Amino acid sequence: MIETRLGEFEEVILLLTGILGEEAYSFKIAEEFESQTKRSVSIGAVHSTLNRLEEKGFLTSKVGNATAERGGRRKRIYTITAYGKRALESARDLRMSLYNQFPAFAGKVDFGFGGL
Amino acid sequence: MNRKHTIPPRAARWLLLRFLRNDLAEEVEGDLEEKFFAELKHQSSFKAKINYWYQVFHYLRPFAIRKNKFTAIYYDMYQNYFRISWRGLLRQKMYSAIKIGGLAIGVAACFLISLYVNDELSYDKNFTGENGPYRLVVEAEIDNGKTGRTVDFPAPATAALKNDFPEVEQAGRYLSSALFGADENEIRRSDRNENQHESGFVYFDQELLELLNLPVIAGNAKYALTEPNSIVITKRKAEKYFPGEDAVGKTFIINNNKKLFKVGAVIDDFPANSHLQFDFLMTLSGVEFWPGEQSWWMASNYQIYLTLKPGTDIQKTADKIKWGFIEKYYKPALVASGAVGFEKILNTAKFELQPMNEIYLDGSVYDGLPHSDIRFIWLFGAIAVFIVIIAGINFVNLSTARSANRAKEVGLRKAIGSHTSHLIKQFLTESFLFSLLAIVAGIIMAWLLLPYFNMLASKSLTFPWTVWWLVPGMLASALIIGILAGLYPAFYLSSFKPVNVLKGSVSKGSKSSATRSALVVFQFTTSIVLIISTVVIYRQMNYMLNKKLGFEKDQVLLLQGANTLGDKIPAFKSELLKLSQVQSVSVSDYLPVRGSKRDGNTFYNEGMEKIERGVAAQKWVVDADYIKTLGMKLVSGRDFNPDMTSDSASIIINQTMAGQLNLENPVGKVIQNWQKYTIIGVVEDFHFESMKENITPVCFVVGMSPSMILVKLRSENMREAIAGISNVWNKFSPNQAVRFNFLDERYKATYADVERTGGIFTTFAILAIIVACLGLLGLSAFMVEQRSKEISIRMILGASVRNVFRLLTQNFVLLVLISFVIAAPIAWMLMSKWLQDFIYKTDITWDIFVISGSCALMVALITVSYQAIRAALANPVTNLRSE
Repeated sequence: MIETRLGEFEEVILLLTGILGEEAYSFKIAEEFESQTKRSVSIGAVHSTLNRLEEKGFLTSKVGNATAERGGRRKRIYTITAYGKRALESARDLRMSLYNQFPAFAGKVDFGFGGL
Repeated sequence: MNRKHTIPPRAARWLLLRFLRNDLAEEVEGDLEEKFFAELKHQSSFKAKINYWYQVFHYLRPFAIRKNKFTAIYYDMYQNYFRISWRGLLRQKMYSAIKIGGLAIGVAACFLISLYVNDELSYDKNFTGENGPYRLVVEAEIDNGKTGRTVDFPAPATAALKNDFPEVEQAGRYLSSALFGADENEIRRSDRNENQHESGFVYFDQELLELLNLPVIAGNAKYALTEPNSIVITKRKAEKYFPGEDAVGKTFIINNNKKLFKVGAVIDDFPANSHLQFDFLMTLSGVEFWPGEQSWWMASNYQIYLTLKPGTDIQKTADKIKWGFIEKYYKPALVASGAVGFEKILNTAKFELQPMNEIYLDGSVYDGLPHSDIRFIWLFGAIAVFIVIIAGINFVNLSTARSANRAKEVGLRKAIGSHTSHLIKQFLTESFLFSLLAIVAGIIMAWLLLPYFNMLASKSLTFPWTVWWLVPGMLASALIIGILAGLYPAFYLSSFKPVNVLKGSVSKGSKSSATRSALVVFQFTTSIVLIISTVVIYRQMNYMLNKKLGFEKDQVLLLQGANTLGDKIPAFKSELLKLSQVQSVSVSDYLPVRGSKRDGNTFYNEGMEKIERGVAAQKWVVDADYIKTLGMKLVSGRDFNPDMTSDSASIIINQTMAGQLNLENPVGKVIQNWQKYTIIGVVEDFHFESMKENITPVCFVVGMSPSMILVKLRSENMREAIAGISNVWNKFSPNQAVRFNFLDERYKATYADVERTGGIFTTFAILAIIVACLGLLGLSAFMVEQRSKEISIRMILGASVRNVFRLLTQNFVLLVLISFVIAAPIAWMLMSKWLQDFIYKTDITWDIFVISGSCALMVALITVSYQAIRAALANPVTNLRSE
């Protein structure tokens, strides 16, 4: 049985894959992760997570086109699946419900999730 | 710098491709290259390369690593080997239990002995540094031709060492003799009334404290013992006498003396593995035991330790010290005293500087300290190895014996395509599994047995759970034992030819019976040697305990610490004599038991002190009732008479002393040391030191040595006697608890080391025979199983139970007999060697061998006969029905 819960890192990687769209491959996701979170990460770590998310069915991947800048080597582009989107939604809902129950934050902070 | 042509490090790329899954290679290489050039844009090429390496190493993840087809197969095979081994283990419960249990016992014994040996070898390691400390030892002639090594030096020797020899960095003395008030005393805080008895008193130099680097917990290390009447105590005593207070600066009263001892410092307790064991270190500063003692070279009572300046040659320094001492001090002092015939002794003497860590293991020095014996350490080590070997032999024997059961498996595996090498691996895996289980069991067993073992060896060993080598060591020894024990069975089993095996023509485990027999003989030889040794040790112990000693050691109660009674002693004595249970009472500190108070004196025939070499003798200060109380025999002359005042110049000597003084009719002759004494009697020689030594000259004079009172009791009702004596004591000394023990117990305690050796030997002899018998049990069970049909047929044809029994046991009996023939001379040699330590010893008689041999035979027979009788009593039908 594959674990279908999302970890924090997995959640961020999944979101970044969605954000980057056609540009979502290991190197770009790692770069984006570093620039958005100011945390450093190795490509291997990202790749490993992507691989795991794909095994869980949250992502699919296909081999993209060759580009000149990486010596003609092709990339593996990841795309978020409908199942992956649902996992994100449920993760967000859980968090929102928890934030709303926490008196210090309830009703005061809008995380911008509402607009999605 | 041309960054366009910088490329990712080749080695890193090569490494990446070595381990990366092929299908990932393209995309990962692309990603990493992109990353590399991205880095290059805002960093040095060096940093970019480092980063590339970093990224490569971060691809070492399970998902990305190529699965090696071969490792996978190996892994599966090993898994299969383990599974088969495990199933075999569970199916053959008895054989597995014997294999594992035997080995576990062996491992436990080996582990405990290793702990013991390690502890024995660890003595004084904490003291030992590059430039010392060393202990000054001298080897000199004692009597004609014989030499002895001692550590006693005169008081001014340390000062001479430091003044005359620039090589010496520091030198310090201690004095632990009870003769001068060290060793045991009554002590109390100066603000309390209750005396407590304590041992571990010693006189100590401030400089010795420093050069030994004793860790000072409280107080000033530099001035701890510089003041007269200062004392340094250990932590445990500070906690006992000053709980929760600062002990430094507090005062003690010793033996009700008016003199106050002030605590200068508190040091850490001496570690258990130190040859020095003291609790109360009294200063030597300002101490002089008699006028001029501190500058006198003719009395040697101090032990000396010193450190050298770096780079000093040890032996040369020792020689230099010797000649320096002789020329400048010893010779002038001897000449001045008018002594004769000392040149040869001085010139042939040898000085040594003994490193601290060698002291404990060197029992040849007369220093009154407990020593270990390096020979016993080796011996115990050897026993440990032998027990493991015996257990290993069980393993080999049972594995080869049961080969028939594995033969089909081997044949099948080979037929399917297994190599011999694979089978060897399989069997080695199996024996590794067994030995690992055995070692884990053995370690747990050792842990459980440690308290018992500590008692046996009188050690305080702790289990080394926390040391780093425990787990790796266990695995390594599992591997080594597993391979050694599994090697022969592995090669033996894997060499079966598949055709023969599958046809069913491999003789059922009988092929290697010669090897097996040899191994059984080895096991029993070892066991019998141990049994014989144990019997001999106990014989010697018994001999020593029951030998006629020349005095009566039974029913003598020793009251201790009586010196605090002071001048009330005569009254106390007569009060004791009023008790109906008391036969006689004597006051003297000198006991005919090793470890009691001793002194050394030289006696001459009257007027001969400048002509002949004197006789070294003990001079014991006793009272008139001493000989009577201890039941000694006078061979001529009379006992002291309390009513004769002239007896203060009378002396009673023992036969040896009379012999050494060349006196045919000693009674009435006059001998002298500092003063003249008339011999009034000769006492029969009695043992007062170890049975390892000859009886030496000893003489009695009347006087006061009041810390011990000997009370000879009438045999009835010990308890009542003790109660009566306690009553009297409490009347006289209400502030000091009565303290006593018995002479026979003290005597027995002096042979505790022999008893300990005996205990350890017994334990390991029993272990060895248990392990050997376990093996025998397994073998006989197997044999009965193999021959069950034969036995059944024999029985149907009319064989009696006795016939069958003999058939099944005679082989083993023969093996045990062969073992005995081999073991007897070995044990005889070993034990003769051991007995050489003793002057007074038991003989190794033939009955020892008979007892030990029949013991081993009985045990073996009982082991085997269980299976044999079971086979003989079985109903033949059950075994024959299936064919």
